[in-house]
Amino acid sequence: MTNYLHTFETAKANAAVILLNQGGMIFHALICRKFVHTCFGGALLVGLLLVIFPGQGLGSTHLVQVATGEEAIGMAARGELDPEMVKEHAFDARTIIVDHVLDTYDWHLFDVGQRSFSIPLPMILFYEGKLYLFSSSRFEHGYAAHRGFRIATEGHLKGRAIRVLSDGITPDPEASYIWDLSITRNVLAVFLSSAILCLVLAGVGRRYRRCNVYTIPKGFPALLEPFIIFVRDQIALMAIWPRHYLQFLPYLLTVFFFIFFNNLLGLLPIFPGGSNVTGNISVTFVLAMFTFFTTHWFANRTYWQHMFNMPGVPMFLKFPIPILPVIEVAGALIKPFVLMIRLMANITAGHMVILSLTSLIFVLGTVSIYMGYAISPLTVVFLIFLNFLKILVAFLQAYIFTLFSAFFFGMAVPETHP
Amino acid sequence: MELLMPGLGLIFWMTIAFGLVVYILKKFAWKPILLMLQERERQLVKSQSDARRIEMEMTQLSQLRARKLAEGEKLVEQMTIEAHSKAEAILEEAREKSREEARIIISRADETVEAFKKEAMQEIRAQISSLSIDMAEKILEDEFSDRDRNTHYVDMLLDKLVLN
Repeated sequence: MTNYLHTFETAKANAAVILLNQGGMIFHALICRKFVHTCFGGALLVGLLLVIFPGQGLGSTHLVQVATGEEAIGMAARGELDPEMVKEHAFDARTIIVDHVLDTYDWHLFDVGQRSFSIPLPMILFYEGKLYLFSSSRFEHGYAAHRGFRIATEGHLKGRAIRVLSDGITPDPEASYIWDLSITRNVLAVFLSSAILCLVLAGVGRRYRRCNVYTIPKGFPALLEPFIIFVRDQIALMAIWPRHYLQFLPYLLTVFFFIFFNNLLGLLPIFPGGSNVTGNISVTFVLAMFTFFTTHWFANRTYWQHMFNMPGVPMFLKFPIPILPVIEVAGALIKPFVLMIRLMANITAGHMVILSLTSLIFVLGTVSIYMGYAISPLTVVFLIFLNFLKILVAFLQAYIFTLFSAFFFGMAVPETHP
Repeated sequence: MELLMPGLGLIFWMTIAFGLVVYILKKFAWKPILLMLQERERQLVKSQSDARRIEMEMTQLSQLRARKLAEGEKLVEQMTIEAHSKAEAILEEAREKSREEARIIISRADETVEAFKKEAMQEIRAQISSLSIDMAEKILEDEFSDRDRNTHYVDMLLDKLVLN
């Protein structure tokens, strides 16, 4: 299993080439619509290639090549296949991609030969009233069990810590819920990006505190200012009444910069980037919940009245069967849900497309090493395009999340009609 | 499916971290930045209105200047005219005066001439009278030398007188 990852990590080194190009990307921020179409077209084409080629290319007589990763592991476990052969030949893009957008207990940095270097992170588990605190390196990249815990390799809890029986492999069927507060890769990424954001922006704030109206700050604050003004004028003031917008503005600005910064950080293939933070459902869930609770904390009388006792509609819609209130409450719950899914899906999809493109090299490489070489330059060109697109999407998703939050706030504090 | 499974730990830590980020950024970043932006915009609006006001004042001032200039010109014109008429008047007066003086001088000269004339006449008269007396004396001397005839003449006169 890990060896697929090893193969993939070399692909990641390949992707470092992309990093070199990212410096130049800023200049291409003004991407025309035509370019976006090109990128979408490219992504679609690659997707099609991915669908077609594994089927054709792996359709050789060799049993291992027919089997995709998970099946191969299953077969190996049942003794139908030599595990070594599985490790040698199978390349399952799907498993690798999904594994890489998921959260992990350690932060993989790079491989040297067969050695994998990663930052071990603390495991914090509450199980049956007991606290288990140990380093994730005890799991030995998922190969070992420690104090009755192991990283699940399949099922809906794949990648998470589960309770195992004394043999160290079989999941404990009678295990109760594990309160898992471990510092995972994404948690660390959130901490790091939060710290960077706070330090940088507080520094900018300090420079603003020092200057007066005539000494406009230069450099980084000057780069930041258009974004701040954009959020204020094009998002907050557009969606919320001028009388109320100021109380929501700090939150909107924070959300915008948090998402934008984490999106960009996710595009970096090396530490401290590369984590799929804003594409993780837990992160977007928390963000959406913040928006939800802020909306309802500040909501005024008119909002609640419209929710539970909509004026101007016939009584039978509200009593005895509260059709309209139910719809309204459902709407209030769906709004943050949509926010959560949209951000997560967009960012994860972006990561997946980039990973798929990189995997293409190896998928073709299993067919013939020369095909792998042949496709590499094309893949790199596509990856560069996609990274441009992802920068656009990074901004766009931050903008959309902030804009919709602002709209919800605006709806929570409607101006009472005279 | 595992992509859609929220993790408790991440939710927990993310809530704490993001809450802190919101708080810290609100206090240390957005507050000073937004304040400064607001301040600068206010300053901008103020400068704009100031500029507009100053422009208006400038127009007013230039209008005032033009008006004053026109007034000044008119005044100068008027003054010139006045000065002209005054000069004219002074000249006229001077002329009148000189005429008067000339008249006086002339009349005085006339008087002198008259006086001279009178004197001359007087002299002439005196001369004439003395001459005539002298002559008369001579004549009379001559006349009275012939006694007879005078007597005769007186007789005749007496006659006439008696007749009268």
